[in-house]
Amino acid sequence: MAETFQNLMLGFSVALQPSILVYAVVGCLIGTLVGMMPGLGPLAGISLLLPATFGLNPIVAIVLLAGVYYGAMYGGSTTSILMRIPGEAASVMTCIDGYAMTQNGRGGPALAIAAIGSFVAGTAGVVGLMLLAPTLADWALRFGPPEYTALLLIGLFILAYMSGGSMLKTLAMAALGLMLGMIGIDVMTGYTRFSLGIVELGDGVGIVPVAVGLFGVSEILLTAGAVAAPEVQRPRLRDLVPSGEEFRRSAGPVARGSLLGFMIGIIPGSAHIISSFVSYGIERRISKHPERFGNGAIEGVAGPESANNAAATGAFVPMMALGIPTSPVTAVMIAAIMVHGILPGPMLIQTQPELFWGFVASMYVGNVVLLILNLPMVGVFVNILRIPYGYLYPCILCFCIVGTYSVSNSLVDVWILLIMGAIGYALRKFGYDLAPVALGLVLAPMLELSLRQSLTMSAGDYGIFLERPIATTMLGLGVVLLLFALKPLVFKSKDWRSEVGLEKQ
Amino acid sequence: MKTTTLFAALLATFAAMPAAAQGSFPNRAISMIVAFPPGGVADGTARPTAAAMEKVLKQPVNVTNRPGAAGAVGNSVVANAKPDGYTILMALSSISVIPAADELFNRKPAYSLDQLVPIALISADPTILVVHPSLPVKSLKELLALARSRPGQLSFSSSGIYGALHMPMEMFLHAAKLKMRHLPTAGGGPALIAVLGGHVELTAGGPAAITGHVKSGKLRTIVSWGGERHPAYPDVPTFKELGYKNVEYYIWAGLVAPRGVPDPVMKSLRDAVRMVVNDPDFKNMMAKLNSPIRYMDAPEFRKYWDGDAKRLAALVKVVGKVEAKK
Repeated sequence: MAETFQNLMLGFSVALQPSILVYAVVGCLIGTLVGMMPGLGPLAGISLLLPATFGLNPIVAIVLLAGVYYGAMYGGSTTSILMRIPGEAASVMTCIDGYAMTQNGRGGPALAIAAIGSFVAGTAGVVGLMLLAPTLADWALRFGPPEYTALLLIGLFILAYMSGGSMLKTLAMAALGLMLGMIGIDVMTGYTRFSLGIVELGDGVGIVPVAVGLFGVSEILLTAGAVAAPEVQRPRLRDLVPSGEEFRRSAGPVARGSLLGFMIGIIPGSAHIISSFVSYGIERRISKHPERFGNGAIEGVAGPESANNAAATGAFVPMMALGIPTSPVTAVMIAAIMVHGILPGPMLIQTQPELFWGFVASMYVGNVVLLILNLPMVGVFVNILRIPYGYLYPCILCFCIVGTYSVSNSLVDVWILLIMGAIGYALRKFGYDLAPVALGLVLAPMLELSLRQSLTMSAGDYGIFLERPIATTMLGLGVVLLLFALKPLVFKSKDWRSEVGLEKQ
Repeated sequence: MKTTTLFAALLATFAAMPAAAQGSFPNRAISMIVAFPPGGVADGTARPTAAAMEKVLKQPVNVTNRPGAAGAVGNSVVANAKPDGYTILMALSSISVIPAADELFNRKPAYSLDQLVPIALISADPTILVVHPSLPVKSLKELLALARSRPGQLSFSSSGIYGALHMPMEMFLHAAKLKMRHLPTAGGGPALIAVLGGHVELTAGGPAAITGHVKSGKLRTIVSWGGERHPAYPDVPTFKELGYKNVEYYIWAGLVAPRGVPDPVMKSLRDAVRMVVNDPDFKNMMAKLNSPIRYMDAPEFRKYWDGDAKRLAALVKVVGKVEAKK
């Protein structure tokens, strides 16, 4: 413990040097902007910045890029809450209750809680990274394809708790998402599926254009098609601060979201987007009033926003402790330090203590900076709502298109965005909930790959799922979840869905 | 008076433009396409190369990432680009595999190799076979004995089917007449994680990616695919030394251009790369990246590429469709 403290002091002595501090602040600022920009997510943001870091020293480079990464997690919530347009893919779940809160005139508190939740989760994540990195990294490596399959199955079972609409419609939307996820080259055999001869579709349909299209573009179309223009909101100052009740309700979701997000973030290959889905599902499941979700429940903002921030920090555990890239974002960051001749590997923390501890300390600083940056900005951001929709929405549409294009310089992505916008518009007119589409799209390719990888490992024997303790435990948990979801169907007992008249649709 | 001067200046500019356009190459920015996301081998080679080329050509050289479909998207962008020398590609060795795989699956090919011509080879690195330390083998001989005693039981991970880390393994398995289970993953990183976590027994790894893990004992090197021993791994024998004459594989990166670029432009580009590989900054950067420079000018590169492409295309046919094998 004393050693950790000493190391941390070393870290702060590095991170508080003005030359490094400046870059941490700049990184956080860029990250916030990148996160706010629909379509442009953390990966695109740090990829665009990567070449600029070649001339800097490695500590500065990694501090800057990390700032962009977790800064984007803060920024992503802003447009989700105010306009129902996900600033980046992991903020899809925030759109639902965050925007409902804005419509209820509670947009300010939603933004504030998102920022505070992100801060708590981010800081808790850094503590976890600092104390547990080497231990947890070895645990993370034990996550092979079978464990991953089990985790993704749990993700699918959580669907039942995700949506506020009828179960049939939810499952239909999940199926649509799963089918979209089947597009592209089959990683196991090399066959191209449903690509219509378009080379770009070989990689499948990306989550960014789909999420921004389904949620963002459809929202713009819906507003344009409304009979009466929505009233421009004029938030007052006292409406910006969360009430005591809202703080109390958020505490649990923030704590659970932080823990859950961190654990999911550590697992190689899992995206922070899943952590926000799972967090939302859990909060709804354990809530005494699940019917409030979808209509502006603060828990639905606090949980997922904390989870995606903690997951972003969790992803640094295997990166730092083992030197392996577990996600595209950490791959770019490893490239950024490799350029400076630092070899990634399990010895990184020992051989480069200034780098690791400076990085850890800079994240403590960065999270404070982001909180200071974001809380007063709540007042500014909320005032965006004063702009008449006739001016605001065309601008947002432009941002959506530019942001989506810039991710991989692909026009095909822009078409997917627009087509998904049209589909999303039609589906919402018929009262379908769109979050399950996004979850299905994210899960389908990962679930398929890990299931088939597992079966390759065992030469086709499904017993592999029962031979590995982590996988077996998680599958058991999944089955329990499934049974809970099935209970009302089997016993015809009333759950909250029928109580609030949802199943009568 | 003022207006007249301005007008004259404008006129002069316009008059000069066509002359400049016909004149020396390049007179505007060059776009260097990378068919992979930032952070990989292609991107890592492209950025120092582009920076050094800017110094030589006195024009910006912009690296543009066009990732997608394991490189097929970016490769076909350049294959179908206007052949004026302003769009060039930092190609990886997998460029030769994609058309062969397209042919195998009767797909409309994204591009064909004869749409592209070589400028220069810049780097090449052999892959190295590594095993999880719990596997009781220390040499190729022991590995072969173990694999033969457990036919079809050992498994290896790769960066994806027909990917840069799949081809060398198949080359070896075919030459040694072995059968193993293949675990394709979504890239070089996940393939490495699968071995580190002990989910598969072995994989082919790039020297730069495995160094840290080999040093800390989390991976054990067995044999290399290089033509000679790798300078960073002087103790690791090559397949060639051990009697596998045709098992040789490099992940290479080289600049290529669309077919039809005028000869003088090609010459400028080739000359520029020749200067680049001798630039100390470039050498320094590549050394930091652990990426060995292996320069070949167009004619030599052509010969090397043709041989490599032929070998890989034949291998894709041998591996065949995964479904058909069952």
